[in-house]
Amino acid sequence: MPEVKIIAKNFMDMVASLPAMKLDKLYDNAFICEAILRSLPPLAKKYVLQMLYIDSPITAKSIEVWVLPDGYSKHRVAIDRLIQLRVFTETVDRRKETTYKINPTFQTNLQKLLTHGEVLPREPMPSNITVRLPSVEDLDVYAIGQWECFLLQLISSSSAQAERPSNISSSMMKVFQRGLLSQRDKEAPRLTESGFQFLLMDINAQLWYIIREYISNSEERGVDPADLISFLLELSFHVTGEAYNSNTLTEVQRNTIKDLADLGLVKLQQGRKESWFIPTKLATNLSVSLTDSASRKQGFVVVETNFRLYAYSTSKLHCEILRLFSRVEYQLPNLIVGAITKESLYNAFENGITADQIISFLQQNAHPRVAERIPTVPENVTDQIRLWESDLNRVEMTPAHYYDEFPSREIFEAACDHAREWNGLLWEDSKRMRLVVKAEIHIHMREHLRGQKQ
Amino acid sequence: MPSAPTKLYADDVSLLVVLLDTNPFFWSTSSLPFSKFLSHVLSFLNSILLLNQINQIVVIATGCNSCDYIYDSSLSTNPGIENGKLPALCSELLKKLEDFVTRDEQLNKQQSQSLPPTTTSSLLSGSLSMALCYIQRVFRSGPLHPHPRILCVQGSSDGPEQYVAIMNSIFSAQRSMVPIDSCYIGSNNSAFLQQASYITGGVYQKPQQLDGLFQYLSTVFATDLHSRTFLQLPKSVGVDFRASCFCHKKTIDMGFICSVCLSIFCKHHKKCSTCGSVFGQAQSDVASASNLKRKTPET
Repeated sequence: MPEVKIIAKNFMDMVASLPAMKLDKLYDNAFICEAILRSLPPLAKKYVLQMLYIDSPITAKSIEVWVLPDGYSKHRVAIDRLIQLRVFTETVDRRKETTYKINPTFQTNLQKLLTHGEVLPREPMPSNITVRLPSVEDLDVYAIGQWECFLLQLISSSSAQAERPSNISSSMMKVFQRGLLSQRDKEAPRLTESGFQFLLMDINAQLWYIIREYISNSEERGVDPADLISFLLELSFHVTGEAYNSNTLTEVQRNTIKDLADLGLVKLQQGRKESWFIPTKLATNLSVSLTDSASRKQGFVVVETNFRLYAYSTSKLHCEILRLFSRVEYQLPNLIVGAITKESLYNAFENGITADQIISFLQQNAHPRVAERIPTVPENVTDQIRLWESDLNRVEMTPAHYYDEFPSREIFEAACDHAREWNGLLWEDSKRMRLVVKAEIHIHMREHLRGQKQ
Repeated sequence: MPSAPTKLYADDVSLLVVLLDTNPFFWSTSSLPFSKFLSHVLSFLNSILLLNQINQIVVIATGCNSCDYIYDSSLSTNPGIENGKLPALCSELLKKLEDFVTRDEQLNKQQSQSLPPTTTSSLLSGSLSMALCYIQRVFRSGPLHPHPRILCVQGSSDGPEQYVAIMNSIFSAQRSMVPIDSCYIGSNNSAFLQQASYITGGVYQKPQQLDGLFQYLSTVFATDLHSRTFLQLPKSVGVDFRASCFCHKKTIDMGFICSVCLSIFCKHHKKCSTCGSVFGQAQSDVASASNLKRKTPET
């Protein structure tokens, strides 16, 4: 997954930032405990498992003994994460000894899971009631279709263009578009820098961005974020393709699931008497993508050394994405042919897309035929993309201050040395006694020069 | 043989192949009842599945005369409660285990009719080979697969007659970079398992208190290969490197070695039974003594 600025905060950070009381309440749900455990770094998982049947607090020292000296930084990361998520509680006693104790609710829930094994949050409905269940392939197609439809709607300037109207309210849509689109008065809305970056992310990252917005907006809709988080996590433990009765949902959950159906996370079906929902791959992958997901979808792009780009895709969305940084030349029913040109790339750079993002998009979505080749994208193309980018950044701007008319050479030399000490000397001309320093050390320079005068 | 895998999942995804000793000769004398042992192991298996959603477990039962797969987490489609009581892992595993034990017992009876019962050791070589075959299949199945490792939970003593087969499995595990962990719950140390773990870079441990078996399993053997690089794990104090002779299958510390194929014999032979090389006449007692190599347990 590319490192993209707008998802610097992942989902578990969001859980960790919940107030302590709500977090403790979340742990009443065994599925949350399981999801949280799985999201932890490997070492932290290990610690939890090791301390699962120990009721008394354990001193920090005795935990440190478990680790080899060069693993100490990993150990710190693991412990910090556990404390942040309130899985461990830290206490310092009078003798300044730090002890850790595992959260009792979390502990009992995991103990239960260990002895009873994994259970499902809901019983699937018997197949004699649900007759027309879609196959797994159909469900995948449905999920991706629904998601792309949503994305197109998200980025298209007016929602009237959408082929299929969804019941995501326009206010909801506005929330999602916040940050991705910017609208200057009366002009058509334009994608912002992060909007472009968003389109180049893989589907799990995109999903999380949207889900995050959805959760952080939930309070305005009168829904408790903690409830929503627990429902979403629970959803990810359902089995893909099985039908679950909608009666088992609470009122809030039923409203949520309608929104989720628009995103392609679940498919809703109506029977003669009852209605049910079928989780899709996107929903069950939720807890996978909580951590760095290793799921990779099949790519479709082939880049040739002559800067031509062939994308085997029928998706309108893919075409839109490719248009962000290449010149689409023609489109066949299942093939988009484009060229990466200097102009198209300058366009992309102007929109705030970086060369690395484009390259990682091309690499991640490489067609299986070229994906096995090393490098997947020809080196001359990647080099040229980077070169064109650095062409634009030939001039680097640094705010600076300019000093001249030094009374004596000594003072000038001393000033130069002082600037060097602060690592802020940009340019000096010793003949005419002039120098330029970085703006941030101007204060220190001024103090230094004042001291010299006295 | 394919080289070591290159494309793997995230660091801590594991494929754990557990070899369970079901030898009735051992369990009838053990201080830990088999039922208790199973409940420890089942909790341990659950904990492995709990740690990561793509972790995979395969359980192979090692009987007296046969061995068989009794559980594969990638094949069990519906987790959840069956029969209203037991979760899928338990019920499926226990049912297959029961079938396996009865089959194994029948085999034993059939054999004892024709031959007098000679051995009370488990067929470890068979289950090790099965585990390695499974892992090879996973290696070849596609570009993405979890880190595999083997865990032998063994109680019965070594069967010297399996020496060659077990050593071959160990070397092939070493070559495909699959560590063999061993948890030995019998009374004396197992030389085979010590060597297996030593050669493949796994962990050998003999729990002191069998009541706390789960804690041993979860502390030591649940550690994924990635975390092992920065965790303090039990070091082997000494490995019994003694070999078994090929002619009488006895564990020996001194013997004759064929200079061509390195087969080991306890007595001087005229011809190597493995490769057929003809040894020269033992010219003098001095010469034969020089061929007699000593291999002592390292402590």
